[in-house]
Amino acid sequence: MSDVATPTVILKDNVWTSNPIFMQVLGICSALAVTNLLVNTWIMTLGVVGVTAMSNLTVSLVKSFMPRKVRMMVQTLIIAFYVIIVDILLRAYLPDISRALGPYVGLIITNCIIMGRAEAFAQSNPPLISIWDGLTSGLGYMGVLLAIALVRELLGFGTLFGYQVMPNGFEPWIIMVLPPSAFFLLGILIWIAKSIMIKQGEPVV
Amino acid sequence: MSPEINPMALFVASIFTSNILLANFLGMCSFISISKDMKSSNGLGLAVTLVLFVTAGMNWVVYNLVLVPLGLEYLRYIIFIVVIASIVQIIEMIIDRVSPRLYITLGIFLPLITVNCAILGVSLFMEIRQYSFVQSLTYGLGSGLGWWLAIMLLAAIRRRVEKAPVPAGLKGPGITVITIGFMAMAFIGFGGMLPVQ
Amino acid sequence: MNKQGFGYTVVFTFVVAFIFVALLAGANAMTVEQVRFNQQIRRQRAILTAMNIPYDTEEQVAEIFDMVEELESNGVTLLQLEFEGDTRYAKEVSGSGVWGTIRAVLGVQGNGERLLGLEILEHNETPGLGGRIDEDWFTRQFREKLIINGSIQFNEQPGEGDFDPDSGRVDRITGATGTSTSMRRIINNSLEELLPVLGGEQ
Repeated sequence: MSDVATPTVILKDNVWTSNPIFMQVLGICSALAVTNLLVNTWIMTLGVVGVTAMSNLTVSLVKSFMPRKVRMMVQTLIIAFYVIIVDILLRAYLPDISRALGPYVGLIITNCIIMGRAEAFAQSNPPLISIWDGLTSGLGYMGVLLAIALVRELLGFGTLFGYQVMPNGFEPWIIMVLPPSAFFLLGILIWIAKSIMIKQGEPVV
Repeated sequence: MSPEINPMALFVASIFTSNILLANFLGMCSFISISKDMKSSNGLGLAVTLVLFVTAGMNWVVYNLVLVPLGLEYLRYIIFIVVIASIVQIIEMIIDRVSPRLYITLGIFLPLITVNCAILGVSLFMEIRQYSFVQSLTYGLGSGLGWWLAIMLLAAIRRRVEKAPVPAGLKGPGITVITIGFMAMAFIGFGGMLPVQ
Repeated sequence: MNKQGFGYTVVFTFVVAFIFVALLAGANAMTVEQVRFNQQIRRQRAILTAMNIPYDTEEQVAEIFDMVEELESNGVTLLQLEFEGDTRYAKEVSGSGVWGTIRAVLGVQGNGERLLGLEILEHNETPGLGGRIDEDWFTRQFREKLIINGSIQFNEQPGEGDFDPDSGRVDRITGATGTSTSMRRIINNSLEELLPVLGGEQ
């Protein structure tokens, strides 16, 4: 975390330098499982971005009224509230995607990134910049998962967002549909990101 | 209506072929940070198994006997989290009273468990698949044992990997995630041995 | 008032919980109709698809579905539709998969000679493996499939789909032996129930 929290510093920090996925592999539980199709990943990560931004805002707004003893519980309650809203909206307006995501929407609650941002940033910063922090953290997360989903869908099904892009004779790679490929791609992405950071001389945690 | 699946088949499948961590990606956060050390891995594995078994049963009771009759299914995420958090607290207190020695081993891991996605994940899977009480218990226990097995294996592998020459950019989380990928492939191989999937 | 005090903490927690639960109850009440409508539309679409009846818009679905009759014979509930001169039947079927209950709709020709189609309503199978039963290539195999000896055969080897309607066979899914076996059991058990009823009406 940089000392001065200007919007640009926050953007760079959250999306690149301290991207929670690259640095500690945090928060992937709720979403890695749905990365075999771009559409599901897109909706899922959009949900995470929304929930992180809104819960950051809410935590920041109520922080001065918050008794210390129940802080964690109230934060969890706030996060759960927004996750349930996302779940209700998906059920009502995107029933197919809601069915495909199944229990993983609910698991956004236990996404360590959301709780982490609420505790580390929103708890001690004003509302507007907290929304921005939440948004950018979510975006960093979204970028990584969409990159994984792009490769998995392209090679696993020969499609992108459901549209056939590979030529007809293309033989889909079944491994890309199966769970191990998500681990391999994530590992490779972390490798690439860290190598670039080392080259640029950034401090690597 | 619950599916007619043999609870024992669920138990075996949730340990091996559909390992909660390697196939469903649940419980990764604490998995990667704790698996550096075998002793802590063992403690956390035991704690996760215990909590999963108890919360799967408890959440089944709360969901089917309280939320469904009252038509409050949409509150299940909040209620499940509250149940999990309270059970972790209660287990912590019981262990402290009954066996202070066990408390020293497990005590530090219990708070970590409330935010472990595997615990909430098992409760949500159990609800969405409409398991019966017995099915939920065996599924919860199997998932816990599977998680324990996976973290022990990874901790053991990581001890060897630490001594290996790994490219600088891949050190730490990178190589760990790729190792997990190989483990996941190996576990898929169980699919051919067991009559599930 | 002391913000760290016991009274304040309890009141604060209670008020926050109350506000959130009230908001959620409101949001749930507002969407409950929409969710029910979605489920109904989905079931109707699945039944028409399983009967191999083309439709474009939601109005068309509702219009065609108005002509579907529900009838019961020997304890078997069937859906019947006269379409382009022939009688088509559909039955909602279900059974246990690897992880949970699989619910589907099976369409059968009036004379019981061929299937019309299969459409999956609900399943919890492993994504990427057994979960592929709801993919188009798998369900399309059942279009107009000839029923031989009162059942549909599943090929021993998994494959990319057997689209010959006269073969009476379909391909299993790669890496999903359990789910494929469950599907075979669900379909053939339903046919066993269904075919005598159809024969009796001829």
